[in-house]
Amino acid sequence: MSDTQTLALPRNPPGDLAIWFFIFAELLAFGIFFLAYAFARAKNVELFNQSQLLLNRESGMVNTLVLITSSYFVVRAVAAIREGFSQVCARWLLGAIGLGGVFVAVKLAEFHAKFAAGISLHTNTFYMFYLSLTIFHFMHVLMGMVILGFVAVKARRGGYSADSHTGVETGASYWHMVDLVWLILFPLVYVIR
Amino acid sequence: MRPCTRIWLLLIALSGVTYGIGEAGLGGKAVVATLLAISLVKSQLVAGFFMGLRRTSFMWRAIMGGYLVVVCGMIGVAYWLGAVR
Amino acid sequence: MQYQSQAVAKPYFIAAIGLFVGQILFGLIMGYQYVVGDFLFPALPFNVARMVHTNLLIVWLLFGFMGAAYYMIPEESETELVSPGLAKLMFWIFLIAGALTIVGYLAVPYATLAKMTGNDILPTMGREFLEQPLITKAGIVVVALAFLFNITLTVLKGRKTSVSLVLLLGLWGLAVFFLFSFYNPANLVVDKYYWWWVVHLWVEGVWELILGALLAFVLIKVTGVDREVIEKWLYIIIAMTLITGIIGTGHHYYWIGTPEYWQWFGSVFSALEPIPFFMMTVFAFNMVNRRRREHPNKAATLWALGTGVMAFLGAGVWGFLHTLAPVNYYTHGTQITAAHGHMAFYGAYVLVVLTIISYAMPILRGRAANSERAQVMEMWAFWLMTVAMVFITLFLTAAGILQVWLQRATDTPLPFMAVQEKIALFYWLREATGVVFLIGLIVYVLSFFAKGETKAA
Repeated sequence: MSDTQTLALPRNPPGDLAIWFFIFAELLAFGIFFLAYAFARAKNVELFNQSQLLLNRESGMVNTLVLITSSYFVVRAVAAIREGFSQVCARWLLGAIGLGGVFVAVKLAEFHAKFAAGISLHTNTFYMFYLSLTIFHFMHVLMGMVILGFVAVKARRGGYSADSHTGVETGASYWHMVDLVWLILFPLVYVIR
Repeated sequence: MRPCTRIWLLLIALSGVTYGIGEAGLGGKAVVATLLAISLVKSQLVAGFFMGLRRTSFMWRAIMGGYLVVVCGMIGVAYWLGAVR
Repeated sequence: MQYQSQAVAKPYFIAAIGLFVGQILFGLIMGYQYVVGDFLFPALPFNVARMVHTNLLIVWLLFGFMGAAYYMIPEESETELVSPGLAKLMFWIFLIAGALTIVGYLAVPYATLAKMTGNDILPTMGREFLEQPLITKAGIVVVALAFLFNITLTVLKGRKTSVSLVLLLGLWGLAVFFLFSFYNPANLVVDKYYWWWVVHLWVEGVWELILGALLAFVLIKVTGVDREVIEKWLYIIIAMTLITGIIGTGHHYYWIGTPEYWQWFGSVFSALEPIPFFMMTVFAFNMVNRRRREHPNKAATLWALGTGVMAFLGAGVWGFLHTLAPVNYYTHGTQITAAHGHMAFYGAYVLVVLTIISYAMPILRGRAANSERAQVMEMWAFWLMTVAMVFITLFLTAAGILQVWLQRATDTPLPFMAVQEKIALFYWLREATGVVFLIGLIVYVLSFFAKGETKAA
């Protein structure tokens, strides 16, 4: 096959095509939410800058590292199943889910501290955005973990092979989306001022 | 070292830079632009290498790339508006 | 008909069409009262006509959904219905309770009806769409439970498909959210807050699941496209529906005394609500283009495609028009809302019920499709009603824009009634197109009696 032919071929991303429609719809939701944050901030720069300083940047950073690493584990899981190693694939996936659990734990501790300090959606516009953006993302982490859980169980039972593993790629693509969104969310809400 | 491992380390390093800028409490247009550029690069790395869009047709890369550029770019515009106000 | 028990769907469909005719007649009366306020007063005041118009809509759509479920579930589950007798019994209970309720609305003043039916024991009446007396509401719950019991056990007994699963989820959601109609807090804001849990979470949540399942079922049947392909679409459509629709409830909470963050939640998420509707349109056309067979029932395909397009226009586009909080600041509760309500209900729910009736009714009457002549009449009915609805929507939109302009977005606002007089022209135009709609509906009803050669089932 020549190069021109390769370019002409419509090569779809890994995983089920349906999940990609879903991923882009989700990205659109997050994108609009991010821009709403940014433009609301433009009207309240002082308030946003002050409130942002009170966030726990350490836990945000830890969670960034956790999510990037768990995404990396998922990449390794896909690489493993492409060579037909379903047990190795399942182990990488379990590792990724475990890191998802760490993310959830850190996040819950962070939410707990905020709620204990009496912060709620009503506190001010910044905290309204901080809470709703992070909780919306949090729900996606939970959903991603459930999806990866199903894939891991099936992989463990040898349900995928080197030739047929769309399910692994589908779950992986969703999990990377959850990671990707956090990579914008973290600097936006915790750092940029 | 596998290419994906290199990407992973690069992502860790870039996140460190973002965190460092936050710890230093820096602000201002140049810093905002830098942070947004880092975010753009990181998310492109995840999309291209982790999600595998690098090996797909132009359409898919354009949708994702366009999305990331628009979102990061518009965030930049909003911050610029906040600064001139 | 593959399963004998599917036949119980037939009375449900007939009742649905009958009540639909009633709804349109009351709509026309109201449309006339918009400009001639004392028409039929005091026998039939505007508020009563409006209540009958909207309640009949809900009730006939429920008849349609139940009929659809009774038709689809045996075929999807590949087994007879657990209890066809219970389905028939529930039909009569629901029909008689519904008829008595309407008679109650028309015969006595609403306050008297409330007193007669024990509203002081548990006050639930007096709220838009949920005006039904306590006993009717209780009756609806009983009928819904018996219905859900019947179809759920059938699904559990037989084959489980994505279509029946999504349908069940939608119908259970419908029943669960209806329970909020029994909760009527004294605080008006809190009351409205939960009132939307019924109304919004129905039409922009669980009903969309029912819509998706009905559309998917008919498309599987008329196009012959692989079930896997259709199910995949169904899943992403309902996932998008739930993500955008649930938090999208916020777009009803603007400017009524709820916290400010609802303006953000409502704007962001409901701005995305057109996406699942758009996907439904693409889905319907895509499946028809990829069809593997030429089904003799051309009319059913037309209704299905119409559902996709009109649901997207009415719910998606006309919803988006006034869903952003700053826009809604001006348009809240104007004729823009009425325009959206008409086209969305017609495009999404009226058309999908007519789609399943169009597909199932010939089969229930012992043939694969109606005669050529009957189908042509049905298609005429589709175009007459659809074009009429487009114009009703456009005229109401024009009325709404003018209303916003004269009454709200101005330095010298006019009083409400003064504005109503100025936009009367559009109400007249709306009434005229309403008559066209009725003609379309009459043609539709007549199509059931058209003679001609039919193909065997």
